[in-house]
Amino acid sequence: MKKKISALKNKYESTIVWLIGFLVIWEIGAYIVEGTKRSPENVLPHIYQIVGSVFRTELVNGSQTLFQIVLSNMGITLFRALIGYLIGAAAGYLLAMLMNLFRPLEKMIFPYLMLIQMIPILGMAPIVLAVTKDIDKSRIIIAAILTFYPVATNTLAGLKAVGPQRVELMHSLAAGQIEIYKKLLIPSSLPYVFTGLKISAPMAITASILVDTLQGGGGLGCILSQSLKHATSIYIFWQIVLFSAVIGIASYYGISLIERIVNPAMKKRGSV
Amino acid sequence: MGKKNPYRKERILSILYPAGFALVLLISWQTQILHKILGTDTFTLPLPIRILTIMMDNSSDILTDVAATLIVALTGLLLGSVLGYLLAVLATALPRWGMGGLNMASAFSAVPIIAIAPIMTNLTKDVSDDPNIRSMVAKILVVMLTCTVSMSTNAYRGFIELKPFSKDLMKSYAAGSWTIFEKLRIPNCMPYIFTALKVSVPASIISALVSEYFAEYIIGVGRQIRENIVLAQYATAWAYIITACLMGIVMYGCLMLAETIMLKGRRT
Amino acid sequence: MAVLEIMENEFQERDFTLPVEQKTEIKIEDLCVEFPDKDGGDPVVALKDVNLEIRQGEFISLVGPSGCGKTTLLRAIADLQKATQGKIEVRGQSPRQIRLQKKYGIVFQSPVLYDWRTVRRNVCMPMELMGMPKKDRTARVSKMLELVGLLEFGKHYPHELSGGMQQRVGIARALAIRPEILLMDEPFSALDEFTKEKLHEDLLRIWRKTNKTVLFVTHNIQEAVFLSDRIVVMSPHPGRVSAVIDVNLERPRGIEIKETPEFTAIVSQVRRSFEGI
Repeated sequence: MKKKISALKNKYESTIVWLIGFLVIWEIGAYIVEGTKRSPENVLPHIYQIVGSVFRTELVNGSQTLFQIVLSNMGITLFRALIGYLIGAAAGYLLAMLMNLFRPLEKMIFPYLMLIQMIPILGMAPIVLAVTKDIDKSRIIIAAILTFYPVATNTLAGLKAVGPQRVELMHSLAAGQIEIYKKLLIPSSLPYVFTGLKISAPMAITASILVDTLQGGGGLGCILSQSLKHATSIYIFWQIVLFSAVIGIASYYGISLIERIVNPAMKKRGSV
Repeated sequence: MGKKNPYRKERILSILYPAGFALVLLISWQTQILHKILGTDTFTLPLPIRILTIMMDNSSDILTDVAATLIVALTGLLLGSVLGYLLAVLATALPRWGMGGLNMASAFSAVPIIAIAPIMTNLTKDVSDDPNIRSMVAKILVVMLTCTVSMSTNAYRGFIELKPFSKDLMKSYAAGSWTIFEKLRIPNCMPYIFTALKVSVPASIISALVSEYFAEYIIGVGRQIRENIVLAQYATAWAYIITACLMGIVMYGCLMLAETIMLKGRRT
Repeated sequence: MAVLEIMENEFQERDFTLPVEQKTEIKIEDLCVEFPDKDGGDPVVALKDVNLEIRQGEFISLVGPSGCGKTTLLRAIADLQKATQGKIEVRGQSPRQIRLQKKYGIVFQSPVLYDWRTVRRNVCMPMELMGMPKKDRTARVSKMLELVGLLEFGKHYPHELSGGMQQRVGIARALAIRPEILLMDEPFSALDEFTKEKLHEDLLRIWRKTNKTVLFVTHNIQEAVFLSDRIVVMSPHPGRVSAVIDVNLERPRGIEIKETPEFTAIVSQVRRSFEGI
């Protein structure tokens, strides 16, 4: 037990060392850029400058500080990403269930599900906007499509990986279809569903930011483009880089946390 | 013998069903039923025949853009995979630091491409006087970064997740670390490389397309989709979208073929 | 549901001085099972013209090399495998009817536990399917875990138990709904010798207490002789019954019996019946 703890500490220690190493390289780069470029904050500002800009109190556009601008736009983007994520996840889960129930449907859809993963959906974002003519709908749709297929394929894989003997056990007990789903298929496929959810969470956020950049309707991507065109402070861009990284990573670990709450066996296994 | 073999029937059906689905989709598209469902018109969603005609007519332009995107995607994929593989080797050689480094790498994969692409464009401002070349370098760097992550995490698993006792067997022959690496870890890693590529091949195209949006020089399939939509030339935009999809499918197909050849005889 | 009522005699020891009932439990007539070939060739014959009668309360083993169809036979009786030809009758009914009445208890080669459920909830699962009230379930689960000696492990998850303990959970689960017939498909083959011997004795004790008919598939001759009243020897290509051997060793049996000449003689008799194959 003691050994386990020290090993765990080691794992975090080395991650922290790596993180420090990364920051050091960034700072060295920033010093070089500072010495050689005319506007270094456009290329690679110091980290303290980025963090400092978060706490700057002067108002930029008359009513909001830099951080408030980022925060309010982040709300717009993340809310749409979340709606798309939930819709996509629900649709993916449902489709996987239906495909598992009706073999012909599986045969019909499965090749296309594989095809979606080869198709650059993000590249299709502009046309979705053109078809829907609504930035909010486009955000939701793209986030939903990107969430949809990892959840659908992983759920289906989970339902298939259940193991023939476990199903036979249910048959030997004369369990009906509903009982087999309730007692066996749904709980046993749960870890797979969460794998899909974990993969797609950062993707949904990426998608939502990308769609923002296509039109000036607000959102992180929108102020990101403005910032890059120097319409506003460049630090808005750097704050977005910082926060999108944090949110992307946090979304992954957030889903992991939910998984542990939903699936206590998992939690116990994790701690053993 | 009069009975039909059920397996054969299965196989025929597994081709018939998806083909039928595609046919229904195409017919409803061409007959504009699809437009009614989506609530759009033939201007934003042109008919398949029209898209095909445009693809034929503009084939030389499209090919130039395909080449530009492919160079970015493939170079980035190659550099990123090699770098990722080397990182995994390093992590295996120094296990104490390896895990932490890979934690970092997977954290990077959660950072949106959109945030990385502009940084790279800024960083490469002074690489060349030719905007085409410096844009290309920036785009390749973005693709490289996304591919590095999936290769390093997967290859590291390939080096570490050995069959039980296989390392003990090598040690019983008094094999050194290098021999174990060469005879055991590298071959063991092969299927994991393909797992990584299955993620990074589609990802390389997506990253290439998206980084084109932010690039200085206007070229590439992704950028053309966007430019044509800005100009409201939806049919041309669709032609590029179809091209992008075909690129994705062909590259994935090549990967599957390579996997079948390389992993022949292995249980996947 | 009559099965749900706790039968008072369930845990009474069987009196071996009384003659064993000669009622037929399972009757198999001219059973054939074929599997279609994947590449469109001739179907593979897994079982050919199997005839067998199993008596009520009997402990019977199916022994044979791999490919002899012993597992297929068990699965056909359990209604998990369709017969191509012939007939299986269990208590005058079809296997399907018996399965739907939930009269089978099955133990597989691997424990087949649900790893998201605790040991208690694994044993509980079949009773949930029967719609048994919660109070009865709780009492029954405790009783079953006590029977297999795992009462204090109820709150554990399967992966926290050893292979032998997991297999005992599987047995407890199979017995939980008071099946009339216990079907066991090489349940101990993945376990070490010490655990196996312990479980053999446990199984005989449980069998003696519950009076079930047990159909036990194994490729281990000693195991079959030690446990069974009769041994059905099967041979491959195509799978069929090649001999049925009576085991007239006295009961209750302990480990010591394995060193007696009678035991050795029956083991050799079974082994010789293979040599003819």
